[in-house]
Amino acid sequence: MSSRHAPRAGGPAPREPVVARSGVAPETSRFHLGGPGCWTMGPLSRETWAQRLGAFRASPSAFMAGPEGEDLGRDLLNELRSEKLSEQTKVSLLALSLEYPAQLWPDAAAAEAAATSLLDTLVLLPPRPSALRRPLLLAATTALAAGDALGPTSGASRRLLPLLLGLASGRDLGRGFGPASEQRPLQATACECLRELESCKPGLLGGCLGLLRSLLGQEGPVQPLSLLLALALRNTLVIQARARAGLQGLLVAGDMPAAGGPWNWTLAEEADAHLQPQAPSWPAAEEEECGLAVLEPSPEEARELRAAVAQLLDTSYLLTPVAQAQLLWLLGWALRGLRGQPPVLFKPQLVRLLGTAQLTLLHAVLALKAAFGEALFTAQDEALLLRRLTLAAQHPALPLPAHLFYLHCLLNFPENCPLGPTGEETAPLLLGPRLCRGLLPSLLHDPSALLAHLHLLCLLCAEDEEKEEKGQDWCPRHYLGELLAGLRQRAALHGGPRALATLCFQASYLVVHCLATQPTVLTPLTHGLARLYRARPALAPHFVDLLDRVGPELGEPLRTALRQEVVSRPGRDEALRWHLQILSKVADGKAPSATLGFLRAAAAHCTDWGLQQALLQVCRALLRAGVGEGLADLLQALARQLEDPDGRDRARLYYILLAHLAGPKLGVALGPSLAAPALTSSLVAENQGFAAVLMVQEAPAPMRLSVGPRRAAGPVPVLQLQVEVLEPLYSVELRFRVEGQLYAPLGAVHVPCLLPGRPCRPLHLPLQPRRPAPAQLAVRALFATPAGLTCHAHLPPLPVNFADLFLPFPRAPDGDKQGFFEELWDSCLPEGAESRLWCPLGPQGLEALVARHLDPFVVVAQPPTSYHVAIRLPPASRLLLRLEAAQGDGVPVALRTDDWAVLPLAGDYLRGLSAAV
Amino acid sequence: MIYACVPLVEQTLSPRPPLISISGISQSFELLFGIQDFLHLGQKNDTELNTKLNQLPDLLLQACPFGTLLDANLQNSLDSINFASVTHPQKQPAWKVGTYKGKPQVSISITEKVKSMQYDKQDIADTWQVVGAVTCKCDLEGIMPNVTISLSLPTNGSPLQDILVHPCVTSLDSAILTSSSIDAMDDSAFSGPYKFPFTPPLESFNLCYYTSQVPVPPILGFYQMKEEEIQVKITVNLKLHESVKNNFEFCEARIPFYNRGPITHVEYKVSFGQLEVFREKSLLIWIIGQKFPKSMEISLSGTVTFGAKSHEKQPFDEICIGGTAYLKLHFKILDYTLTGCYADQHSVQVFASGKPKINTHRKLISSDYYIWNSKAPAPITYGSLLLSLSSWTLWPFKKR
Repeated sequence: MSSRHAPRAGGPAPREPVVARSGVAPETSRFHLGGPGCWTMGPLSRETWAQRLGAFRASPSAFMAGPEGEDLGRDLLNELRSEKLSEQTKVSLLALSLEYPAQLWPDAAAAEAAATSLLDTLVLLPPRPSALRRPLLLAATTALAAGDALGPTSGASRRLLPLLLGLASGRDLGRGFGPASEQRPLQATACECLRELESCKPGLLGGCLGLLRSLLGQEGPVQPLSLLLALALRNTLVIQARARAGLQGLLVAGDMPAAGGPWNWTLAEEADAHLQPQAPSWPAAEEEECGLAVLEPSPEEARELRAAVAQLLDTSYLLTPVAQAQLLWLLGWALRGLRGQPPVLFKPQLVRLLGTAQLTLLHAVLALKAAFGEALFTAQDEALLLRRLTLAAQHPALPLPAHLFYLHCLLNFPENCPLGPTGEETAPLLLGPRLCRGLLPSLLHDPSALLAHLHLLCLLCAEDEEKEEKGQDWCPRHYLGELLAGLRQRAALHGGPRALATLCFQASYLVVHCLATQPTVLTPLTHGLARLYRARPALAPHFVDLLDRVGPELGEPLRTALRQEVVSRPGRDEALRWHLQILSKVADGKAPSATLGFLRAAAAHCTDWGLQQALLQVCRALLRAGVGEGLADLLQALARQLEDPDGRDRARLYYILLAHLAGPKLGVALGPSLAAPALTSSLVAENQGFAAVLMVQEAPAPMRLSVGPRRAAGPVPVLQLQVEVLEPLYSVELRFRVEGQLYAPLGAVHVPCLLPGRPCRPLHLPLQPRRPAPAQLAVRALFATPAGLTCHAHLPPLPVNFADLFLPFPRAPDGDKQGFFEELWDSCLPEGAESRLWCPLGPQGLEALVARHLDPFVVVAQPPTSYHVAIRLPPASRLLLRLEAAQGDGVPVALRTDDWAVLPLAGDYLRGLSAAV
Repeated sequence: MIYACVPLVEQTLSPRPPLISISGISQSFELLFGIQDFLHLGQKNDTELNTKLNQLPDLLLQACPFGTLLDANLQNSLDSINFASVTHPQKQPAWKVGTYKGKPQVSISITEKVKSMQYDKQDIADTWQVVGAVTCKCDLEGIMPNVTISLSLPTNGSPLQDILVHPCVTSLDSAILTSSSIDAMDDSAFSGPYKFPFTPPLESFNLCYYTSQVPVPPILGFYQMKEEEIQVKITVNLKLHESVKNNFEFCEARIPFYNRGPITHVEYKVSFGQLEVFREKSLLIWIIGQKFPKSMEISLSGTVTFGAKSHEKQPFDEICIGGTAYLKLHFKILDYTLTGCYADQHSVQVFASGKPKINTHRKLISSDYYIWNSKAPAPITYGSLLLSLSSWTLWPFKKR
């Protein structure tokens, strides 16, 4: 439930502070002509924010990787102080920062800066009522907790903690903290914030226990203070016990840390070594106990502790049920085993809690039961609790999910004197068949409920084993038989939904799983399943799956029963396909003559390829089982008689194998082939997603992709990709995704086969930019391996550079190249932008530089000093360059474009040219 | 729309801890139930649902600001946003936002639902059960007004069992806690009055739920259906028990025919009421109306002919295969409970300023009231089998 802001271990390396941005070179911005969506971030309108947030929520990671991602956190913080935005919009901005702190402030430094900014905003709010104070407190807390910035060295922490404590204790903090009417809600919020910080840094409030106790005694908001005190108390107890220290008067010490004075971090630092944050749960194994027994409070301390706990419990009825439950979980497990703290303290609450239908409250009682056992629940109490649980698990006024949860609780009930091994689901001793007769499954239940109740019935039957022979007509086992028969009857319904058949097989599996040793259950089950097959052979895939999953207890007799069921039929049957499928699973060395007789009769009706292959599959199973006599004749006959040459060949092959190989070798030759992927089971196929996971395997990247030489031609930019592989790959499909949605979605590239060492022609990947901007392509490869497995792999992202998008203009009319260029040059203004910059030249000079990088785009050339270059940038932009009057170490470039967004990219590109090889 | 809740588990997951040991499981359940209630209770149309859906993100922020649930009652969270400016000098329960101002009044309404499975067979016992819900709305001034409501039974009333109370109930008599349908009933069963002291929340709430095993079902009947090629012959007989108030808001028997074609022809005779035929839905509705006749017993017999089955249109049912079939009774009686349970106006104690007006309501409605075809197998529960073993005597009037 709780989304603890767990500090990230080894998060990303610190980036530049959020406010820095890569961007516009000074010389280009000088000519910036401005326009509707200008670069400098002025206040954005409500609509722009709505759009932006919509895009972010649609895919936070894609948005953050895109061009706007970097600004979002900074803009958000700035906008909170804008006077143009409504409070409602600001609240939604803050809500975003609560939901995605890790994306917005990805490291401790950014989180610290963000928290500082949020606190500044809070202080600057005018003293009238405002809906922003509460979310600002929550956001600052979230930023510190989620960014792992909370600590004694953090300035924001040093500001936030005293502020929260001041608000929580209801002190007047001055004008900035709103009108009196807001004090109470803020007090509650401050407690919640402190609780979150305490749960991230256990021990943080260890020095304030006395203060919190006195606040709870006064008129503070009960619920937030109770929960905060309970958590701080529990953490303190655990830390002190682990450090083998006493309580040292912590329960009564309780003055407010002086305003501006240092916060006491001692206990929190102590905790770092001993206590990890932990959501309430009860430990599975005894050794995980927190070992509070070592804490030996003095009689006085024990009395104070008892008083604190009693104080919390006495007012607990004022808390919402979910909060009461949290309190009980915390206190119960905090006091377990602590000397001088009798669990009887909880007793007054129990009757009230046992009477309710509230899931959390009953669950909390079970937690107390697990914590204290006999010390809190006598045998009679235990019986009462069990009864309440049993009736809650079947009460008609409660919803099905609650029933199922209570049923689970019954099967894992923390008994005072458990008999069986721990960790196994069993019906509690006190829960006899009579007590749980309302919990038994019925055909009227829906599938999930039926299976859950069936589990209980099976457990009862397992216990009932010894009492069986008493001549009871309607013992649980008898009922189980009737129920399974009913399920089979429904599954046998022709044209009935597949879910009914699935349920019948799931139930059968469950019964075998629980009652594998009981022939009185398994024998009728076997016969019933055989009858079900007779009624509906189309369920053959379910049978095959069941046989794959059950042990020999049911597997052996079921195989025999199904084999007899099939071979006793005439070979001519519309369900022949299913019969053959079953036989290939169950045919073994037993009674081979009947099987062979069936196959001989069936052969005449195997008219299509599929049936013939199924028939041969059965022969194969017989071969593996070592059936020789009679099989040779059948195979010979098939090799002559089958219509399909493929079938004849296979029959002949089997015949030759049978004739020439001894038994053990035959087994190896026909053993499961490693190359062929195993068939997925039909039960698994019920769940498509699961099946997909089974079939496509994740693999390390088996290939290297790189971008080859540019090919500036054609209507759209095309990347030439070069592929190298480390092992043979087949049916390769490369899928590309553009981060930041800068280009239209890219089609996949298919290659039938890639072999190491054999050069592959370059692959062409056409791009359809929506904006002329560089991007990263995320790449995934799907391929088949020589072993027949289908795999997928993530490849390192491919960069698309600005220059990869360049296309030449269609050829200018002969003779008037200069005029053509000038026309383009003039058309850029007034909407576009103009700039001048210095392009450094390497040792090779201007001519070589142009020849290497810009040749396809040159319209007018006067080598070696002057070049006019026109570049088309899809979807609809142009970039024009005049490189004239080169000097020794550089050339001045005049550039124009009709798209202002291109300017910084072009600047970076030109400045980088001399370094590029 | 699918809402999911993922509890945080900060411990080793191998071996997998049982769900019972994780507190977040029940917290998640409560949150999801809370969302469900908020979205669907009292919702009238799609616009209203959309409004609520739009409020949900803000509400979640209010109800679990750091992912730890503070209140599963989202309506409360919504109100607390609006009430935020009110100051409360006294200790205020977290589940009660603000206070009521106005004329004091308390309304108590008892709704009983009766379920039944009737088989008309020697070896299977019929079953029936009453499930009651007591709903309260207390409009009382003051922060913590105390109220005690007593539910009473007439001398021949059926004891209430399996009582589950609202968390605002402050204490419970142990007799209430232990009276349970799991145990065999005897004459010494606690028969009230059932006292519930509580501090009411502002909203309408379910003070308690109970079940009860009344000695007889309100309407006992049998249903016989025989298949003859494309026809079925049906006979239905229903009898209202003399102790039941013979004044219905409505009463009807629905007789569906599953896994068959549309009805093409019906010939029938009813001793009372009228029969409506829904041919395409393969459904007969026998409208009995407001009163049973003086004899308290009514019957229907007839022959139903079906056309060819086409899979897409006709109703499918996975239980009603072949002769397995049922009729289902729908009825409602106002100002009546089957157990006899009532809340006496004079027994309601209110410790708050002003004398409140007290309204009480009662009603009985049918829910899952099935009568199965006695000429074919029918789905049974374990309870039916157990009961049939004991010497259970049915009413003498029942025709076999």
